[in-house]
Amino acid sequence: MLNGISINMYIMLSAVLFIIGAVGVMARRNSIILFMCIELMLNAVNLLLVAFSTLHVDAKGQVFVFFVMAVAAAEVAVGLAILSMIYRNMKTIDIDELSKLKH
Amino acid sequence: MKGLFIISGLGILAMLAEIFKFKKILYPLVLVGILAAYAMTFVDWNPPTDHLSRLDELTASFSNMIRFDQVALAFSGVILVTAFFWFILASHYFENETNITDHFALVLFALVGALMLTSFSNMTTLFLGVEILSIPMYVLAASRKKDIASNEAGFKYLIMGSFASGFLLFGIALVYGATGTFDLGGISHYISNSHGDVPAFFYAGVIMMLIALCFKVSAAPFHFWAPDVYEGSPTVITALMSTVVKTAAFAALMRLFNVGFHHIGDVWGQIMAVVIGLSLVISNITAASQQSVKRMLAYSSISHAAFMLMGVLANKNGFDSISSILYYSLAYSVGSIASFTVLYNVSKDNNGHIEAFNGLSKRNPFLAVCMVVALLSLAGIPVTAGFFAKYFIFTTLIGTPYKWLLGVAVVTSAIGAYYYFKVLIAMYFKPAISTEPVKVEMSHTVLLIITTLFTLAIGIVPGYIIGIFK
Amino acid sequence: MLGYTITQWLFGILSFLAIMFALMVVFTRNPINSVLYLVLTFFCIAGHYLLLNAQFLAVVHIVVYAGAIMVLFLFVIMLMNLNQDTEPQKTVISKVVAAIAGGLLLFVMVGALRGSEQLQIKQYGHSDIGLVKNLGNVLFHDFLFPFEIASVLLLAAMVGAIMIGKKEIK
Repeated sequence: MLNGISINMYIMLSAVLFIIGAVGVMARRNSIILFMCIELMLNAVNLLLVAFSTLHVDAKGQVFVFFVMAVAAAEVAVGLAILSMIYRNMKTIDIDELSKLKH
Repeated sequence: MKGLFIISGLGILAMLAEIFKFKKILYPLVLVGILAAYAMTFVDWNPPTDHLSRLDELTASFSNMIRFDQVALAFSGVILVTAFFWFILASHYFENETNITDHFALVLFALVGALMLTSFSNMTTLFLGVEILSIPMYVLAASRKKDIASNEAGFKYLIMGSFASGFLLFGIALVYGATGTFDLGGISHYISNSHGDVPAFFYAGVIMMLIALCFKVSAAPFHFWAPDVYEGSPTVITALMSTVVKTAAFAALMRLFNVGFHHIGDVWGQIMAVVIGLSLVISNITAASQQSVKRMLAYSSISHAAFMLMGVLANKNGFDSISSILYYSLAYSVGSIASFTVLYNVSKDNNGHIEAFNGLSKRNPFLAVCMVVALLSLAGIPVTAGFFAKYFIFTTLIGTPYKWLLGVAVVTSAIGAYYYFKVLIAMYFKPAISTEPVKVEMSHTVLLIITTLFTLAIGIVPGYIIGIFK
Repeated sequence: MLGYTITQWLFGILSFLAIMFALMVVFTRNPINSVLYLVLTFFCIAGHYLLLNAQFLAVVHIVVYAGAIMVLFLFVIMLMNLNQDTEPQKTVISKVVAAIAGGLLLFVMVGALRGSEQLQIKQYGHSDIGLVKNLGNVLFHDFLFPFEIASVLLLAAMVGAIMIGKKEIK
């Protein structure tokens, strides 16, 4: 119990957020929204880490969140750079249009 | 540990080369640097007597985040040797590109991530290693800016990679929640002390991490991104992906599951066995119908991933099969580098259709012979390294409950031999499209000679590598 | 109030809002709206951090995600002029598959919650681990190596983004 809230509630909440993100990645075609859904997944993980960190009274979980944030920022920077390059070449960011390689 | 610092320094040096205008000598400098890092693995390998305490001291000074024990050093050695060969393969590629120094820096940074994956002993370093390895690879896959196929390869790699990272992180979070630590030794200690009395979400976490790493090593059913990404990327980058990245991801998987989670081998063993079976069947059957050699090599890399996973699976009751995984990754990496070098020289237009190989024995007999040796090794035909690699993996699997995988592996390997032979037949028995001989650069000739001899040599005396940990 | 404490009420409201906004991110057509809903989700998550006594992290979370990452998204969307509502839809089959996969995943997660009550809780109540002083201590002692090596990651991302982003100079 964290301030009267069971840890299960936190696991449930972050699992739901994570799965909403994962379903978004699978179901949407707009690449920018795909990236946002991945951000959502990472945030669900962060929330879970912080909840466990408070549960264990251990700051390591919170410090790990910093690294997740750094990685998320790096991934987004690279991802958006690739996306804008694709847009320059193809004038679309629809992922099904991009599937030229499928056989 | 020193090797890691040398490679990081080299990466920064590569970026400085643009500013201080020593681009011309950067290439030899990088080769020397990699050799120096490789030499460092030997320095750390056979230590003076007080070394054990020194290693512990050094590890402790980084709060047990990273630990270069002998297993880590051996895999670092394989990665550095492969990287050295890869740089020779890429010499021409680097000359043609506009942003040479950026390419050097990115490859070297990816190498830092790879070395971290061989030696992590904490979830933080595992996660950072995966990301440091992946992010430069996303960029390199997309580095042919005007080529839509390359753009898409980079993009697809990035989306699938981040998706897998999400799973890896969720798994790490759940494991942390159950154990209260990120330390690999701490987790293993927790499992052995709890006597099976662990919360169920801990297992969910372990399985999510397994799924994430299967994504990274492109094992079926999480392989669907690999053929597209391998085909779309520039051939040289594909060679890097299927050798260095794969070996590093395997070293990580092995370290995580055989050190961290080895007490609950029954839980992940079943799932891993299914993954292996699926990978073997899907990859070999699909590869047989491919018309592009590059795509075929992508599928073949999936089947090799399955073989290395077998090593990890067999390992769960001890550490006896580590040397066979090491041998397999070395044989596979060297064979891949050789076959990609031939592919690069035969098919300059980046698609690698099998017709480009027609009549290669007439157009350039040397390339054809090297390709034959490389493919025989990848197919696992006797006398080459690949045969012994498969043999050692099989022997480690015999004592485990997963013997049925052997049957699957033998049957699918036979199917696998078919598509390797398809290339051989094209090279020797099909009429050539043009009679013009294929030109090979001096550096590539040397590389092919070295890799071919290497493949034969470790096939003839496999004992040296198999006995390395004794 | 109905036998719940204030924190429990706050938790319930914040969770409900976070899930609602997250669903809106996935189901809105217009990317601009998606970005704004995602920012709102992030604010809800920051609220959760405050409830969990992770004060510093809550601030960093807002600064990094809402302040930097989402602004980057907005820039890209606006520079490419992508704020149209007419996104072609995926086929029904792939949507159904996605929904089924998500449902299965949720099912597994709920199943995995069994037995989590036996977690050993070392200490109850208020703690100050979320303060800057504590986090700094842990970050620069235990996590020194990851902290240093994260610079390689950021450097690689920087070089990569610039290499991809800049025009070819012949």
